[in-house]
Amino acid sequence: MNLLEVNHVKKVYTTRFGGNKVEALKSVTFSVEEGESIAIMGESGSGKTTLLNILAALDKPTGGNVLLDGQDLAKIKESAVANFRRDHLGFVFQEFNLLDTFSLEDNIYLPLVLAGKSHAQMKARLDPIAEQLGIKSLLKKYPYEVSGGQKQRAAVARALITNPRLVLADEPTGALDSRATDELLKLFGAINKAGQTILMVTHSVKAASHAGRVLFIKDGEVYHQIYRGDASYEQMYQKISETLTVLTTGGERA
Amino acid sequence: MSGYMKMVMLGESPSGHLQGQDSLQGQNGPGRGQGGSWQGKNTRQRRKDVHPVSGNRFYVKLAWTGIRNNRRFYLPYILTCSAMVAIYYIISFLTTNPLFDQMIGGTIMRGLLILGCGVICVFSVIFLFYTNSFLIKRRKKEFGLYNILGMGKRSLSWILCWESLIIAVLSMTAGLVLGLLFSKLAELAMTNILLLESNYAFYVSPEAIVDTAKTFALIFLLLLGNMLYQVWKSNPMELLHSEQTGEKPPKVNWLFALAGIVILAGAYYLAVSIKDPAAALLLFFVAVIMVIVATYLLFISGSVALCRLLQKNKWYYYKANHFVSVSSMGYRMKRNGASLASICILCTMVLVMLMSTGCLYMGMEGSLRERYARNIMFDISAKDLGVSDSEYAEGLRGVVEKSAKDRGETVKNVLDYSFVDFGGYVMGDEVYLDSKEIRFQANTWQMFVFSLEDYNRLAGADETLGADEALCHVSKTHYDYDTVTLGNEAQLKTWNIKKQVGKFVDVGADASQIMPSMFLVVADVEEALAPWLYDMVEEGGQEMLRHWIYGVDIPCGDEKQKAIFNDMLENIGAMNERVMNEDGGLPFVTYVSECVAMERGSFYEIYGGLFFLGIMLGLVFILAAVLMMYYKQLSEGYEDQARFEIMQKVGMTARQIKKSINSQVLTVFFLPLLVAVLHLAFAFPLVYKMLLLLGFSNQNLLVLVTVGCVLVFALFYILVYNVTSRAYYKIVSPASSSGRSSR
Repeated sequence: MNLLEVNHVKKVYTTRFGGNKVEALKSVTFSVEEGESIAIMGESGSGKTTLLNILAALDKPTGGNVLLDGQDLAKIKESAVANFRRDHLGFVFQEFNLLDTFSLEDNIYLPLVLAGKSHAQMKARLDPIAEQLGIKSLLKKYPYEVSGGQKQRAAVARALITNPRLVLADEPTGALDSRATDELLKLFGAINKAGQTILMVTHSVKAASHAGRVLFIKDGEVYHQIYRGDASYEQMYQKISETLTVLTTGGERA
Repeated sequence: MSGYMKMVMLGESPSGHLQGQDSLQGQNGPGRGQGGSWQGKNTRQRRKDVHPVSGNRFYVKLAWTGIRNNRRFYLPYILTCSAMVAIYYIISFLTTNPLFDQMIGGTIMRGLLILGCGVICVFSVIFLFYTNSFLIKRRKKEFGLYNILGMGKRSLSWILCWESLIIAVLSMTAGLVLGLLFSKLAELAMTNILLLESNYAFYVSPEAIVDTAKTFALIFLLLLGNMLYQVWKSNPMELLHSEQTGEKPPKVNWLFALAGIVILAGAYYLAVSIKDPAAALLLFFVAVIMVIVATYLLFISGSVALCRLLQKNKWYYYKANHFVSVSSMGYRMKRNGASLASICILCTMVLVMLMSTGCLYMGMEGSLRERYARNIMFDISAKDLGVSDSEYAEGLRGVVEKSAKDRGETVKNVLDYSFVDFGGYVMGDEVYLDSKEIRFQANTWQMFVFSLEDYNRLAGADETLGADEALCHVSKTHYDYDTVTLGNEAQLKTWNIKKQVGKFVDVGADASQIMPSMFLVVADVEEALAPWLYDMVEEGGQEMLRHWIYGVDIPCGDEKQKAIFNDMLENIGAMNERVMNEDGGLPFVTYVSECVAMERGSFYEIYGGLFFLGIMLGLVFILAAVLMMYYKQLSEGYEDQARFEIMQKVGMTARQIKKSINSQVLTVFFLPLLVAVLHLAFAFPLVYKMLLLLGFSNQNLLVLVTVGCVLVFALFYILVYNVTSRAYYKIVSPASSSGRSSR
């Protein structure tokens, strides 16, 4: 069984006074297998963020459904949805979204504390993750004291600490310089290799070139997809660039 | 010129002046919105060419839109300024009230009001600076943007000047109108409290208006100066980012926190341990300063320290309920400690003021009765111990009764007793009659020596005393010895105190004095005091005089009592003249006559005046506290908004967020009130002792009034909480619409 199944998801926004309707997603269908790493690409306004919000159960689709481990996200009760998100999904954001009132350690603990875990349990989980992400020495620092790359690594640690079924990343390299980007992508590769499923939404060809599969969204539909196969990062980069060129120069659907 | 073009384009919302254009072009059909604004710009341009002064107009317009767009902040600010102006005008108006010229204590009352004016003036400066700094902080970003887009600091200063002018004119006009409207009401309230006659004519005091305008013009000028300074000293990038400078975690200053605890404990101990009312007066100020310092220390450092301690307790800290609240409380207290402490102190001040002045006012009849045991009192002092049995005394009694009878009334509750009084220097169980050797440690007490016969009659008792025995009663303080030794260097005499007795008579001299009094009851006054009674004066000591007190109640209204009293004085004058002629002298040293009906006025003037001022200042302080809370909630709301969004993304449920917000807001909001009530509880004994000095001794009433004040204040506080927390939630939770639906 697939880990995630997205079936004909449609999302229509209605403007406030009910006048105009905007179709953000027309009909998106794809599935994700356990252990995959997927990048979703598309221009601004193509519906990437809407899709991610629906996958994160932050928003509900107008039509179609999303199944995570066979469970329909739209059917989770309103009161349980936050808990579901916390227990099954990990998030990495472009702006890190660390709370500046917490040290990095406490930021990473946050989902576990909310889940009611004891301090000893939390520490046992944090130690190997902090080791892997290389932030062990930074744990006592506050967000304003560390660099963007370090913040993002802390955010990744926060996403991983609940052992989520799926990590959703929204432009994770968007606010990083090129060195930090490289490091983070390498890290994602390693985490993925260890079995973690990752779904990333990105603009960056470089970030996408590290994924196992790249989906292109245009006009609210999955327009195209590329599998890595045995291709190297460079070859993948090349393929993605070509696809994007076709996409933007407006070639009709092949 | 192109600069102005740009300005209009970036102008926050030029719609204010473009709307007119829009409607004019309304018929033009589609695209009129854009066409309208474009047209508007052209018009603007043309106008500028025609009128060279339109640069100024432009600044005015920018200033005005600035105020309008930030009305959420400016409206309360203008309202506060108006309220301050109004209150200042009212009090200033009352000082010019011609009623004071007629009334007896008018100068005292006027002095009190002028003092009140000063307090409000100083307070306005401090308080308006506080709120103004909040406004500047919020506007800095906008100014930074203007600055980067090519508007010089000179232009910014112009905008600020116009803004200040608009605000000043608005709030002064509104304030003066409000002041005028309410001045009559305040006057009526005051005359009512002071029991004065007032006419219902409405009048305006031009002096007060000029005074108010001058004072507040100066205050606004100061505020403008501060704003200009702020803008001039900063650079555009700073202005632009002033709102989002990264925040360091609060540093714990353990020393300050500890000092806060120690000082507060010391102040509380002082307040509780003071026994002597006269010392209370002095120590009250020491205690007040200590409490203020301690409150600031504790709110600023103590609270952060407490949060840190809780954070260190891993078992407590890493709980879903505590985790977010504890860590953000640290930041919150770091940011708001000072303002919360100020609110707390303001609350305490309001409460103490209302409670003490309210008590004095409401307990006035009681105090009056203590000061004047009967409606009409005579106090005749003489060297002759037998003055109360003299022919003269008989004559006076007759005159009093006859004067009442002539007007159809009879005297009742006749009070008739005598005592010998003198000052004593008390050290331990010894009372010295002189202070020849300067005894620094000695306390000065008022001594009253009564005969057993008078005591038994007054107290309705049937005591017997030996020659070396005495009964003792002490007011305002306590006396814990079994004996009392009285005398001077020449001779000392000791009595055994057979019994400490309760108060058995209201002696006016005791009620009107600050110092403690000792009432000694001995079998025979003349014999007891014989060694010092007659030869003290020759040796330069004090005179021991016998006082004969004669008082009567006459059950009729104040006016009639005054008339009867005047009759009595006339008749007694005639009698005195006769005695003078017959005996060649009068048998007394001093002669004092008092009529409560006449004294009541001055009592009401002083206590009522204090009460009135207490209410006025209380209002001002409450207003200040409310506004501080409002601004605090608003600024907090904007800061917390982003934080709660993140928490929601990370998996906090809407309910958890709501709970966390609630607990934090509640803590921040009600902490000052709780601490204020705690302060008040400890201040209670001190306040009571100070009121004792002012002749107020009804502890039950004080408790009642205190509880009443606290309840009314708390009610008011909760009301304000409801209003301001709504503003807060509105800011914090637009994103969490799910938060509302989940309820």
